[in-house]
Parts: sequence; structure tokens; C-alpha cells
Amino acid sequence: MAGALIVGSSIQEIREALGAVSSLEGEKVVLAYGKAAENEALSKLGVKVYKLNSSHPDHIVKAVEQLFEKFKPSIIIGWITKNNRAALSYFAGLHDIPMATDVTELGIEGDHVVYKRGFLSERAIAREKIPTPAVVLINQKVFAPVEAEASAQVEEIHVEEEKVVLKEVKPKMLSGINLEDAEIIVGVGRGFKKKEDLQLAFKLAELLGAQVGASRPIAADYKWLPEDAWIGISGKRVAPKLYIAIGISGAPQHMAGVMNSKIIVAINKDKSAPIFKQADYGVVADLYQFLPVLIKKLEERKKK
Amino acid sequence: MGDIVVLVKPALNPDMVRAKPDGAVDLDAIPLKLDDIDANALFEAQKLKKTLGGKIAALLILTWGPVARRQKDLRMVAQEALARGADEAHIVADDEIIPGDPVTTASAVVATIKKAGLNPDLILVAEASIDQTTGQVAGRVAAKLGYPYISFARKLEVSDGKVIAERDLEEHIEVVEAPLPAVVSVTQEINEPRPPTLIQIRRAGKKPQNYYKISDLGDVKKPVKEILEQRILTVARKQIIIEGDTLEEIAEKLIEALEKEGVLKI
Repeated sequence: MAGALIVGSSIQEIREALGAVSSLEGEKVVLAYGKAAENEALSKLGVKVYKLNSSHPDHIVKAVEQLFEKFKPSIIIGWITKNNRAALSYFAGLHDIPMATDVTELGIEGDHVVYKRGFLSERAIAREKIPTPAVVLINQKVFAPVEAEASAQVEEIHVEEEKVVLKEVKPKMLSGINLEDAEIIVGVGRGFKKKEDLQLAFKLAELLGAQVGASRPIAADYKWLPEDAWIGISGKRVAPKLYIAIGISGAPQHMAGVMNSKIIVAINKDKSAPIFKQADYGVVADLYQFLPVLIKKLEERKKK
Repeated sequence: MGDIVVLVKPALNPDMVRAKPDGAVDLDAIPLKLDDIDANALFEAQKLKKTLGGKIAALLILTWGPVARRQKDLRMVAQEALARGADEAHIVADDEIIPGDPVTTASAVVATIKKAGLNPDLILVAEASIDQTTGQVAGRVAAKLGYPYISFARKLEVSDGKVIAERDLEEHIEVVEAPLPAVVSVTQEINEPRPPTLIQIRRAGKKPQNYYKISDLGDVKKPVKEILEQRILTVARKQIIIEGDTLEEIAEKLIEALEKEGVLKI
């Protein structure tokens, strides 16, 4: 057994996964599904590509099964996306093979893989070792992509039958804001009592040249902001120079998403809120009183 | 009439992370708790029980040991699951499968379902745990049982032997349907679980908790994952509370501090 099967739904993902296994010997084969199957860049990846015109997890499982039988790869690898998690956990279950997720470092040691991953809601890091064949799902934008271009054979792969029937696809309200690239982020939480009050945060963000993100209740439950503003372990993971958390208590699921910020400021009226222990600077004050003052001071400074 | 099986994880509490003097994670010192999204899964099970009938069985597989030290936490998690609507709890606690890995956990789940004589219509699982966040046990259990697998459900309905769900994906929502029995992983958005009432807590004490060893279950995979190192990530924060007589003074001090850090663009 040798080589790798790369499973991905975007060209960037496939290139990063190829980069992650560049030291691995043996043939590399790509299964490009969903959006990636339509991408013309597939023929320039320099490795054999199979394309699947579906992103249904049941179909991905079937296609991976076919290619696993045919090529006997020691690693099946892709990004930690929801459909990859769904399909490849099922595939791993069919064979009782191990699967590493949220991987940030990867090494090959004979017939084992050694990797690092965050755990305990990103408060700790583990180095673990599993035997191959194994599924490895890597974090996005961690591994250097293979950029080289070479022509490659692209073949279509057909699978049928599914246990779960797709009835309808509904759009999500998304802002299109790229929080991952923002230098300053103002984060809003349940301390805001109604949607209109978020204007205070937007005003502050405008002055600072910041983007606005949110904790789970604001984005996912109340839907005051689009879902792509949601920061946390199930939302986005961000790494700005400055993160200003306003009315956010500091639940581990949220803090896991901001731990890579350079400086964290917390504004909260509850002086026992856990966020103050995870912040560089804390202001214990009612946001409704403090934000107008902070905004006024920043405006004065800007005029100078 | 089938059962609703809910996987309940006694998870390490990330809010109580403890380190050894050398920075290694002190696993044995971190208490276990009922995993966050498991509360949502149990709450959803109570709702679906009204349509499906049958009983709700909570399945707990201990993955953090040693068993002798975890008895109290384990019983407390089982008790909470029972207070949150489960009718019975089946608990696997055996040092042979500790520290567990998802291969082991999934095979223990399947073996326990058989041993306990459960007849699942639905198996509900949190999309991921708070301690390991691997999110793979649900898919593995579905594969091993040959059931359909619906992942990341944030809405769930059951009727006429079918389950209809909304899958919450990165860029869109998918409405999907599958025949029962099925495995469904749920997200935290599926409901807002109410804490158990006093009556529920009192009743929970009388509900059955069944404990199993691997030798009772037969074919359970042994862990293959080797843990080489577990270190606390210390992002040391300054934790400076800015104080002042007036909010104006505090705001000025904050702006000054941030300018000194070089993180303000004004």
C-alpha cells in the first residue's frame, strides 16, 4: 500500500492536500467532486483525476470505495469540510480504519501517520499516531499548496444509488465578508439587546476599519447577522491583530475561534465573565454606556 | 415501534483544563460532563418520541479513564441524560478501550445496541464533541449498521417511517429524506434545550443504568490510535482590567494601550 487519494470539492483544497502528502511515496490520485468537478484546472494538476458531478455524501462514499479498491492508497486526504467529514467518516466506518480530523501537521513514518491536532476546544494540542490506511482531514490554509502545473488525465466517475434522497437546496443568507482576512474584528454577543443596537458596533467598526463578527446566538439563533459572521468552533476561525469582544461572555466554543488573535479586548458589564481571563485588556462596563464614549473619543482622535 | 438511541458522551470539560508542571495536559484531573450538543440531541429525542413512541435509550461509552476514577462523573452524566428525557442508560466503561478512539467507540456502540436488545428507529448523535471534536462516530455507526446517515441536521421531522431533515452546510441548506432506521447527527441550532425540572431530576434516580464491560459485549475493536503528546496551548493574555473614574478616562486609556500595541489604524 502506498500513495494517496485526495478527496476535494475545490482546486485550492486539492492543491493543499497534495502539498500535505508531498513527501509520501506512491501514486497520488484525485477525486474532485461537486464544484471542483466543473473546474478546468483539474487537467493541470499533474496527477490522475476522477471527477464526480455530485456532492452527495452517499455518492462520495461510493466513489471513494471504487478508487480505494483500485489504487489501495495508504492515505485518503482532504479538507475538514462538512461533506468530507460526513462521507469519509462513513467510509472509515465501512473498513474500521482510523481517521484524523482538524490536522495541522502531518508526517509519514513507515506505515503510520503522525499528526498534530487541536483538542479540548482548541485549548490543547495533541500529537497522535495511527496506522495506515487512514483518512486524514486537514485544516484549511495550513499546508502549502502544490502550485506546479502539468497536464493530467481527467476521467469521469459515475455512481448511483443513495440511501438519503436530496429534495431541495435552499440558499443561506451570507454577507460575503471575509473575516479570515480582517486585521481588526469587532465581535458582538448576547450583551446586545436588540438587532438595531448592533449599529453601535458597526459605528465602532467603521472608525477602526474593522469587520463585524458575532458569537453563535447573534448569527445562528437570532439571525441578526449573516451566518458567515459567526466566529467559533462551528463557525469561522479568525486571526486578526485586534479582536474586540463586546457583550460576549467567552464560551469555549467562541474563544476557540479567536485564540489566534494578537490582542483581545473584552467589553462586558459582568466582571466575572470568563472572557476577562482570556483577554489582554478588559473594560467592565455596560456596552450601552461605554461604546458611545469610546466612539466619541476615537472620532476626536481622528479629527486631530 | 422502535427506540430512539441517543449517543451521550462523558466529555472532558474544556472549561476545566488542567496542566502538569511541564505543560502536559493533566487528563486525569479534568472532570467529565455531559457533552454540550448531547443536550440538544436528547431534547430533540423527547420531541420525536411523541411521534415515534418507543423509548429513549442513552448510550454512554467512556473514552477517558481510568474507570475507577471516573465512576462518579460517569454516573452523574448518565443521571443527567436520564433527567433530560432518556428512559434508560447503557454504559460501557472498561479500561481496555481507554483512551478510546472513534473506531473503538463506534464498534462499542453497535455492540451495545445488540446486547441491550435495542431496536432503533433513529440514532441521534451530536455533530461533534467539545473535547475531541472529531465528528466521526455518527458516520461510522451508520456504516457499520448499514443505515442511512444524515449529517449536520438543524431541523428534523419524522413521519410515515421517514425522516426529513435540513442539513446545514457551509454555503447552503439541503432538505433531505431517508427511510427509518437512520443515523442523524444534529447541530446546536436544532433546538434550545430546557434544563431538566426538579421532578425530572428526581425521577432520573429511579431509571435503569446498565453497565457493561467489553467481555459482555463481544466484538469490540481495540484502540489503534497512539497518543504521543498532549500539551496545553498557552496563549498568555495580559488580563489587564482598565480602570478609571469615568468612562471617558477608561476609553482614553484603552485607546492609548491599543496604540502602544500597534494594533490601531487610526
